[in-house]
Amino acid sequence: MKRFLSSMIDGRGFDIGLVGLPLAFLLTLSGLPLLYNIAMSLQEVDMFSLGSFWRPFVGLKNYRDLFAQPETWPILVNTATFVVASIAGQFLVGFGLALFFWTNFPGASWLRGLFLVSWVMPGLVVGAIWNWILSGDFGVLNFILRETGLIDGNIFWRSDPGFSLWAVIIANIWLGTSFNMILLSVGLSSIPRDLYEASELDGANVWQRFWTITLPMMRSSIGAIIALGLIFTLQQFDLFAAITSGGPNNASNVTQYWAWDLSFRQYDFAKGATISVIMIVFVMIASVVYVRSTRHEVRG
Amino acid sequence: MAIRGSAILGALALAGVSLFGLSAKAEDVTINVWSLDRDIQPAPNLISDFNKLNTGIKVEYRQIQFDDVVSEAMRAYSTGQAPDIIAIDNPEHALFSSRGAFLDLTDMIAKSTVVKTSNYFPGPLASTMWDGKNYGLPKATNTIALYYNKDMFKAKGLDPSKPPQTWDELVDAARKLTDPSANVYGLAFSAKANEEGTFQFLPWVQMAGGSYEHINSEGAVKALDIWKTIITEKLASPDTLTRGQWDSTGTFNSGNAAMAISGPWELDRMVSEAKFDWGVALLPVPEASAERSSAMGDFNWAIFSNTQHPAEAFKVLEYFASQDVRMFKDFGQLPARSDIAIPETGVPLKDAALKVFIEQLKFAKPRGPHPEWPKISKAIQDAIQAALTGQMTSKDALDQAAEKIKAVLG
Repeated sequence: MKRFLSSMIDGRGFDIGLVGLPLAFLLTLSGLPLLYNIAMSLQEVDMFSLGSFWRPFVGLKNYRDLFAQPETWPILVNTATFVVASIAGQFLVGFGLALFFWTNFPGASWLRGLFLVSWVMPGLVVGAIWNWILSGDFGVLNFILRETGLIDGNIFWRSDPGFSLWAVIIANIWLGTSFNMILLSVGLSSIPRDLYEASELDGANVWQRFWTITLPMMRSSIGAIIALGLIFTLQQFDLFAAITSGGPNNASNVTQYWAWDLSFRQYDFAKGATISVIMIVFVMIASVVYVRSTRHEVRG
Repeated sequence: MAIRGSAILGALALAGVSLFGLSAKAEDVTINVWSLDRDIQPAPNLISDFNKLNTGIKVEYRQIQFDDVVSEAMRAYSTGQAPDIIAIDNPEHALFSSRGAFLDLTDMIAKSTVVKTSNYFPGPLASTMWDGKNYGLPKATNTIALYYNKDMFKAKGLDPSKPPQTWDELVDAARKLTDPSANVYGLAFSAKANEEGTFQFLPWVQMAGGSYEHINSEGAVKALDIWKTIITEKLASPDTLTRGQWDSTGTFNSGNAAMAISGPWELDRMVSEAKFDWGVALLPVPEASAERSSAMGDFNWAIFSNTQHPAEAFKVLEYFASQDVRMFKDFGQLPARSDIAIPETGVPLKDAALKVFIEQLKFAKPRGPHPEWPKISKAIQDAIQAALTGQMTSKDALDQAAEKIKAVLG
């Protein structure tokens, strides 16, 4: 007993306790719902059996049915396009802005703070505003494009199957850029100044300094921001609900919106869970890549 | 023994307290009612009036949000915590009645002196039925018709007293009224990929002799072809595909559309916003002699089958039905009753419009009723959108929908 206590205060027990508490927390709050979700995807679920756990087991039927549906592959492709384009856009614009404010001109920190406004706004509000901006007949975006002579006729951003997904991507890039910028600014400011001074003395130009100092030193920040970006884009739901509702004809439908539509509009909870499981697989792959890419990191 | 006896008594007392609620008098029966009505809408007002009557029945009210009605009700029913009475959107009614979650009211209605099924419009009443039995009562109702801008009709040489009667006349009028240079579309309606799209499209199918069970009939294909003509010729905004009825009719009110298909819920806003002379006409039919049809919206009352007090719950429904005369006067909603005249409002445009809507209601048909309505509706929405975006022909799109619906109907 005494040994147990002393190990709890300072020793193996303490270590196990430190690891065990968050692990237990993670298992109950994330692990169990995940497992429940997987179980649900293997069952036949309808609204009247929602309250009980013991429902008819149907094996992989939900998965087979799902992939037999004609809209499944286009929606998966849409999701991939949405994720890649959103992250790329948010990251590039965010990094550009972070570098811009890093030059520390007068008022830079003040302006940088203002940029955060977009991140503070709720998704549904952002969606409603972009809904107006992107409106076909009277939208501001069409007005600007027309006045500058870039287009002749109105583009129906929300209703043209060729544009609707990009309409949501544009709104999502706007929404996520400031968050990228802030995290990358933090990364930039943690790079020791003397590195730049030394390389300048050695005669490195701006490009060389960027490629050989800034980028490598930012590796962990960039890894983190892209991993977070993947999570944020995969859970982006409000913009779809507010701007296109996944339409027209599923042209802007993505898995996260589709899962909700199946579960809560068509009351097909098993299919909704099935899509979620497929999404979990993709997130797992992404997180493995992220963990491996930052494993050998040396901070300094 | 004595201890046991008093323990049982105590348990009973506890159960009594939790059943009837602490605030109710001991002899009162408590009936729980859920609906989405806010404080200015019927349910909470009718309930507070009912409670003042001191009938020995105490009604408790809970407001639920539109998006939560079905999921809350399901969860409550499957865990045995359902209310006694709920207001449910009419296309969802069959989902519950077919699974025995709602109480069969056929006998109670037959014996009732207050509720008579013959007093209701056939469409709303049909939405409460399943397998020939009554599983509820219509709460209120609405339908859609054609709004048109009389000033624009005059300006384009059309007779404002002769709104389009047939589909061809509608398309013709829309062609004449469309004026891109003035930012005016001929028609505004909604083909959105949600229940609103189905709500607007199904009447067209029914007028042409089709139905959701025969969604790829010749008439239905013709209906979708007409919609396609309207969209591809830009007689309506391409945003029709992603815009709901409320936003679409907004463009009519602002003078950017010469006609609009929508329901009586637009009237108050239109009276205050539309700065022109307008009228309402019955939905145009495929050809002059064709059968009329229209959409049917709004909620129904139902009693959950696991209620402890079916007789008392039905008394509450009888009270609600007895107050249907106040439905329009006090709350601006249309009662689903053909025996109740809508009182004049004193606003001439609105009164004329209401007469058309009441006439249109005679032809209103429910969506379904079918327990898997959301899936049927989704198949129809997909077909509308596939055809209107030009990705499929109307025939192919509706064939695909028919295939999906066949799988649902089994």
